[in-house]
Amino acid sequence: MANQTGRGQQAQERLSQVSSHLSGSSSQKGKQALLEKNPDDIVITCALRTPITRGGKGGFKNTASADLLHGAFTALIRRSGIDPSLVEDIAVGTVLAPGGGATEFRAAALAAGFPVTTSCKSLNRQCSSGLQACVDIANAIKAGMIEIGIGAGAESMSSQYGPQAVTEFSELLEGHKEAANCKVPMGVLSEKMAKAKGIPRSEQDKFAASSFQKAVRAQQQGLFDEEIAPLTVKWTDPKTDEEKTITVAKDDGVREGITAESLGKIRPAFSKDGSIHAGNASQISDGAAAVLLMKRSTAQRLGQPIIGKFVQASVVGVPPLLMGVGPAAAIPVVLQKTGLGKNDVDIYEINEAFASQCLYCINELGLDMEKVNPKGGAIAFGHPLGVTGARQVSTLLTELKRTGKKVGVTSMCIGTGMGMAAVWVAE
Amino acid sequence: MLEYRTQGYNGYSVKYSPFFDSRLAVAASANFGLVGNGRVYILGLTPNGIVAEKWFDTQDSLFDTTWSEAHENQLLAASGDGSVKLFDITLSQFPIQSWEEHAREVFAVHWNLVAKDSFLSSSWDGTVKIWNPNASQSLITLPTHSCTYSAAFSPHSPSILSSVSSDSHLRIFDLRTPASACNHLTLNIPIHTPPKPRMGAAAPVGVPPSEALTHDWNKYRDTIVATAGVDRLIRTFDIRAPAAGPVAVLPGHEYAVRRVTWSPHLSDVLLSASYDMTCRVWTDGSAMGAGTIKQENMLQQDPMVLGGGREMGKMVRHTEFATGVDWCLFGAEGWCASTGWDERVMVWDCRAIMH
Repeated sequence: MANQTGRGQQAQERLSQVSSHLSGSSSQKGKQALLEKNPDDIVITCALRTPITRGGKGGFKNTASADLLHGAFTALIRRSGIDPSLVEDIAVGTVLAPGGGATEFRAAALAAGFPVTTSCKSLNRQCSSGLQACVDIANAIKAGMIEIGIGAGAESMSSQYGPQAVTEFSELLEGHKEAANCKVPMGVLSEKMAKAKGIPRSEQDKFAASSFQKAVRAQQQGLFDEEIAPLTVKWTDPKTDEEKTITVAKDDGVREGITAESLGKIRPAFSKDGSIHAGNASQISDGAAAVLLMKRSTAQRLGQPIIGKFVQASVVGVPPLLMGVGPAAAIPVVLQKTGLGKNDVDIYEINEAFASQCLYCINELGLDMEKVNPKGGAIAFGHPLGVTGARQVSTLLTELKRTGKKVGVTSMCIGTGMGMAAVWVAE
Repeated sequence: MLEYRTQGYNGYSVKYSPFFDSRLAVAASANFGLVGNGRVYILGLTPNGIVAEKWFDTQDSLFDTTWSEAHENQLLAASGDGSVKLFDITLSQFPIQSWEEHAREVFAVHWNLVAKDSFLSSSWDGTVKIWNPNASQSLITLPTHSCTYSAAFSPHSPSILSSVSSDSHLRIFDLRTPASACNHLTLNIPIHTPPKPRMGAAAPVGVPPSEALTHDWNKYRDTIVATAGVDRLIRTFDIRAPAAGPVAVLPGHEYAVRRVTWSPHLSDVLLSASYDMTCRVWTDGSAMGAGTIKQENMLQQDPMVLGGGREMGKMVRHTEFATGVDWCLFGAEGWCASTGWDERVMVWDCRAIMH
């Protein structure tokens, strides 16, 4: 009998040895490997954003970016139930704030209830700042520098958008051709790129109209409600100059009834025979977003609900005048790093800086249009520069969860010629 | 393609006789080697197909076999009960010798090709043992402290041997070195060392260690060893540059690789058998004039691909895990035999599947 027990145990050991040969391939790449759950995964336990409102007109036109950030922080603490003293670092992406926003963002964190022991930095990688913030925090957790952190973004384009946001170029920089290209305005170079890459206005208008239509549909179905944290702010009525207190719970840039035909009537903004106009470019907007990141083992220990995981990011440089091709350059790199095929990805959130560049990237990569920005994009609800990267995380994860899908990519082009992309998995 | 059914026994290893081009040995186990008897088959290749000339039954599963280099009728079997058994096919029923020293399953046996009076065994107990067929006890025990799936003598030197184990390391032992604290261990190469980064391709980062299941010495280039295992990659190493990482990396298998073996005829060609039920033929890209294949789109390329090697063909007839494969030493280059958990031994010409 004892012998038989020994036999059974030996068989069990041999079986587990063989099964470890089949499953124990942690170096394995591709979709299957991505879906595996490991204790050292970097996971997201809460991702949210304020509504995004129209610059100069919308609900946040009189709200400072640090106040928007404060709103995102307090909502994050409330929703996740995280003990603020456990958060070790916060990174905030922002583009326009003078001095990088470093001072007021640290103050916003303290005001939101984080103790003095929670550190805070601001960073600026142009339009990908929000994503860079999340990636910086994820990497710091991966490297063991911190255990829990927040990647965030905040931008008040109403108050801080304008020529003062760019320093005058020196003679040295002006004298270098490629360097001088870095200050060509986005609209102008995108116009040139649309022409060079042969993307007709009709296509751009069609793409822009569909972004509006998708966003309208999503808003009507309440698909943004889960990711949005409503914010109560002071707002000055432009007609009466009366200061009111309002609660903003919706993106107010989303307009109904937009069609390719109605967009076709708008005058081009950058040159007479151009193709880019206010209706097929991203809106100027205000908003904030925040993403709570930690290791899976930490989340399990704290009982935090895991909504997704961060897998990998990529960043690449492209010629400054072709900055719009950024996603087309960055997405293949991140797919290669993770061993994914383009069809393994269920949803692509590609920032719609301009319909022209987004369309170019989709065509260049040969992506299925159905998979790109299913709830619309920056053309419909706005592109608060430093926020977008962090905003895409909540937009992506809620949509993946709703549709029962798994793998998503967020990406955007970056002024001065770069592209960034990241792979996320919903759980 | 010739086929033989090892009914009731799942194949674990097949070896061509070094003396006869028509004789094969197959180590097989009942119940997939989990529990039950083992059987070593002696198969003859005849004009009427494959016939079993003889078989020996054992109490426990058999995981590997190797022919004696000194005696045409003798062969070794590696047993799950920790024993190494020597059979003589002119005798019936029982082994002529059984060495019982290993504490756990013996997973590899290999005869020394140069000094033909010694052989080795490796085991899940974390040791490699060197034996003389005439001695009743092992001559040397080399610890690896890790489940050792595969060990082999160099075909070029009587005193150099190697092993790979579940700790993802390739170890080289030289018995001429003094048996000091390091137990003849001269090199300990991490198999998961990422290849050097190259222009135009993202550097592979964070390649994690994974169990190594098999390896083989190149028959022509005396410093080249191929390894493979759970991470599905076949790698070649040059033991003159142990810190340089792999010389070639060959991705393609969809599950763990159970066996690699270099061609006895061509210095750049190797065969593999895998849990993905295929046997594949590869060139490691080192043959003169093979050059590097042109990479059309670097972005689509697997960053682990290295050395210009490629898969030249695959045999897909097995319907369960392919576990053993071996080259015929004689006749036209390309004849080989394979076995697997589908209870089948197949003899085939790999030139027929190459493209």
